[in-house]
Amino acid sequence: MRKIGVFVCHCGINIAGTVDVKAVVDLLKDYPGVAYIQDYKYMCSDPGQNLIKTKIKELNLDGVVVAACSPTLHEATFRGASESVGLNPYRTEIANIREQCSWVHHDKAAATAKAQLIIKAAIEKVKLDEELQPVKVPITRRAMVIGGGIAGIQAALSIANSGYEVVLVERQSSIGGHMAQLSETFPTLDCSQCILTPKMVEVAQHHKIKLLAYATVEDVSGFVGNFKVKIKQKARYVDWDKCTGCGICMEKCPVKVPSEFDEELANRKAIYTPFPQAVPNKPVLDSAHCTYFKTGKCQICKKLCPFDAIDYTQTDTFIEEDVGAIVVATGYELYSLKSLPEYGGGKIVDVIDGLTFERILSASGPYGGIVRRPSDGQVPREVVFIKCVGSRDPENHFPYCSKVCCMYTTKHAMLYKHRVPEGQAYVFYMDVRADGKGYEEFYQRAATEDQVVYLRGKVAKLYRENGKVVVTGIDTLSNRMIEIKADLVVLASAIRPAAGITELAKLLKIGIDQNGFLTEAHPKLRPVESLTAGVYLAGCAQAPRDIPDAVAQAAGAAAMVTTLFARDYLYHEPIIAGVNTDLCSGCGICVGVCPYAARSLNRSKGVVEVNEILCEGCGACVAACPSGAAQQKNLTDEQIHQMIKAILT
Amino acid sequence: MEIGYYPGCTLKTSARNFERTALAVLELLGIKAVELSEWYCCGVNFSQVQDNLMLQLAPLRTLMKARDSGFTRILTLCTMCYNTLRRASLFLQADEERQRIINDFMDRGAASYRGDEVTVIDLLTLFREIGISEIGHKIGRSGIDLKVAPYYGCMLLRPREVAVDDASDPTIMEEVLQSVGCQPVAYPMRIECCGSYQIVNEPAVVWQRTRLIVESARQNGAEVMVVLCPLCHYNLDSVQLEIQRTDSRFQTLPVLYLTQLLALLAGIGEGNDWSLHSVDPRPILKAKGLL
Amino acid sequence: MFEPRIVAFFCKWCTSAGADLAGTARMTYLPNSVNIQVMCSSRVDPEHILDAFRNGADGVLIGGCHPGDCHYKTGNYQTLKRVTLLKKMLTELGMESRRLRLEWISAAEGQKLARVVTEFSEEIRRLGKIKVRQL
Repeated sequence: MRKIGVFVCHCGINIAGTVDVKAVVDLLKDYPGVAYIQDYKYMCSDPGQNLIKTKIKELNLDGVVVAACSPTLHEATFRGASESVGLNPYRTEIANIREQCSWVHHDKAAATAKAQLIIKAAIEKVKLDEELQPVKVPITRRAMVIGGGIAGIQAALSIANSGYEVVLVERQSSIGGHMAQLSETFPTLDCSQCILTPKMVEVAQHHKIKLLAYATVEDVSGFVGNFKVKIKQKARYVDWDKCTGCGICMEKCPVKVPSEFDEELANRKAIYTPFPQAVPNKPVLDSAHCTYFKTGKCQICKKLCPFDAIDYTQTDTFIEEDVGAIVVATGYELYSLKSLPEYGGGKIVDVIDGLTFERILSASGPYGGIVRRPSDGQVPREVVFIKCVGSRDPENHFPYCSKVCCMYTTKHAMLYKHRVPEGQAYVFYMDVRADGKGYEEFYQRAATEDQVVYLRGKVAKLYRENGKVVVTGIDTLSNRMIEIKADLVVLASAIRPAAGITELAKLLKIGIDQNGFLTEAHPKLRPVESLTAGVYLAGCAQAPRDIPDAVAQAAGAAAMVTTLFARDYLYHEPIIAGVNTDLCSGCGICVGVCPYAARSLNRSKGVVEVNEILCEGCGACVAACPSGAAQQKNLTDEQIHQMIKAILT
Repeated sequence: MEIGYYPGCTLKTSARNFERTALAVLELLGIKAVELSEWYCCGVNFSQVQDNLMLQLAPLRTLMKARDSGFTRILTLCTMCYNTLRRASLFLQADEERQRIINDFMDRGAASYRGDEVTVIDLLTLFREIGISEIGHKIGRSGIDLKVAPYYGCMLLRPREVAVDDASDPTIMEEVLQSVGCQPVAYPMRIECCGSYQIVNEPAVVWQRTRLIVESARQNGAEVMVVLCPLCHYNLDSVQLEIQRTDSRFQTLPVLYLTQLLALLAGIGEGNDWSLHSVDPRPILKAKGLL
Repeated sequence: MFEPRIVAFFCKWCTSAGADLAGTARMTYLPNSVNIQVMCSSRVDPEHILDAFRNGADGVLIGGCHPGDCHYKTGNYQTLKRVTLLKKMLTELGMESRRLRLEWISAAEGQKLARVVTEFSEEIRRLGKIKVRQL
């Protein structure tokens, strides 16, 4: 018979308020196997843990049950305490009498009775718990970063500067992301490209970074420390080994395509780099628009290329990379104006989104930094900025705050006033959220020095009339209806996770929240980790955020990666499913059930074998095994049977 | 196809042009609208009373009658009736507490009502079911160079739960007009409120709304406006001559029910009592060869 | 009033985490079930379910991740197959198959967990005490 110690926590009044802890102790003190039982106010405190440790030593306990909060909170704490005094940690079990008992029931008698059953089941489990050792798993000290915007760039550089190799995968032909499109950045108004391009170049030149541009992640297998990633290198139709980036092909290509980078305010060619400072600064050929691909004629680029780098026969290729950790930094896109019928549904040319206005403001943009409106190129005299377009609108669009719009709209209005001092800028707002360092001062500057008119209210309607965009709304502070005949309207439309995030999340087995953003492991304490070990999050893929926050989070994710890589081995939970070869008939049913290919049939021996590193311990094979040969360690059929009996008697 | 038909009060009086032409057009499209043997005022007037229960009783009584007569769907022409009946159905659906209060009050025992037994539909939704191209095929005419401003108002679109189309950017009337060979006019005021019952206490509000809506349609080239609501028709049509008397620059615009236009396009000339119009639509209709 | 005894098998990643969330959010539900936490719902052998009924459980509730969200990729599909088949068997054995219920409850669905547990407890209460012929 085991000598089991049972330690019942009051958790202040969190447990003791509903569960009669003393009664529980009293009822279980003679339960078979219980050598010691004691309650305590806060078992997770130092004195609480010391009590457990002392009693293990003093009474030579060989099993411990801690009846307390959910095992996700303190299982590790209590197992650590046991281990520190020589008791195998896998012989310490948690009975969850807080989250699944005291907090969800009001009836004291019923909660006390239920707590007792929960503890009894845990005692029965411990009785049959074996001493286990964690499974040692080697680590591949190489990371992958998915997404080459500012967050991905920061994560890649931080990891690479720590001495580890990084594979950076970017689906566009250049890294830089949306930050490369921005004109100037709040609240300091420094030029976005001036601070970004040196980092982009550093990525390109870093000997520890392997940059895979124009590539996408197709499949991910394996687990923390040992991922295998299949990447599709999209056909560029340009041999980048030969190409020097001279640009003759782009200059001579006769096909014009609306430029995605310039938000369709200008054109690019069918063979192109998205912008002149692109990294890598080599073109790709867009086969959907290329005349040669459509008609079989043209080939001007091929004829003119001095290095014979154009290759129309290129196809998509697939690359496999082994990495130990993955950082997801896939960023955002703006909510499409087409989804906003109340703001013209994208049909009014002079109603644009924030990124389009960034291109208009940008000195390297299609208008050379002169503020013009898209319809007729006139300099707008009255500009209306509308915030919370799609955001904070749970009835029609999304409930969340997009976070960056307050400040970029302030910046937009301010930059517009700097360029067109005689013009008038209006901002329709619900709130001004200026919560970052220097942000409130920046907003005050716009409202006072630059005389931007802030109108607190929502826009009811906007429509085109006589070459103007008429904006009607209400100013809730003066309670007046407002009508502004604007030359240009800029919508701060909602930040959405980049397209394809759902599919990628599936591949990585990480969660997505109700708004489509990636879910962090804990909203406060583990903000850069996903729920899948070894997969980390950075930037707007997780939630809308501005540049400093994205950079900080990326550096945090990189620190998590290097923390992982600093270890010699990973230790895998040993609650894996083994095989009793005496019972195994080699039928192979479990092999097909295993989602990890951890099981294989050894035909010569006629039994199934388990790869302990691959086994994740789900137990599907155990339930499938017809002979009882497959058993999960410390959750055997016998243990479950005893737990059922304990609950029901 | 047969469908239950709830007329509502005005359709028998000031909006009889609407009813007559609508029923004729539906018949042409193979729909037999069977008028309910017993019906009451939809109850919209009670929206002016601070008693939500009263507001629901009248429409629910009509819906119960419809159910008891064996109908699972009823058509309304008047958009105010549509709005009132539809919202009353939604008010009751999936809310046992409300069902209990209403049924207790009505004291109808086993014949209590849940709200989902009868579906209320409007004319445009029925048109969509029939198929816009089918309507174009049966009614459409080529060579009609008539610029028509479709006016939705609020009752077909608000609140969103009862909207017959995208509440911010509806297209269904435009689609119908296009299919029958007219030119729909795009103008920003098509979903503005006409002023509704303010005509009783604050006619100035209606004057201002009508002027806004009509001028917007005119500026964008409209030769005639079509509506689906008797009250919108009254507001938009009746005050135009008065506006013109105070301001001679104001240009009037004839206002028709959509079904009047469709009937004329289909060659159905009868059913219209032109004395019910303030702004006489006959000159423009004659000029376009529709009369 | 008859108080049924219910054995619950919740997977660690979704349903048990959902149960923890119900607790953290102080939702309430009936106290008739006790959870045996398994790593994955696919660990639940039909034999465990029969074992529970044989030992006097009036109902068995199994909670797993939503289809496509299983922490172990495909475990919940195995569970679905097994439970579907077992429910048919229960009917043939003369038992109400409603005494066995499978639900997909995610880590974010504390509310759903509370609702399902209460709903199931009430349903079993209506069905009454289980009658299993002792073998």
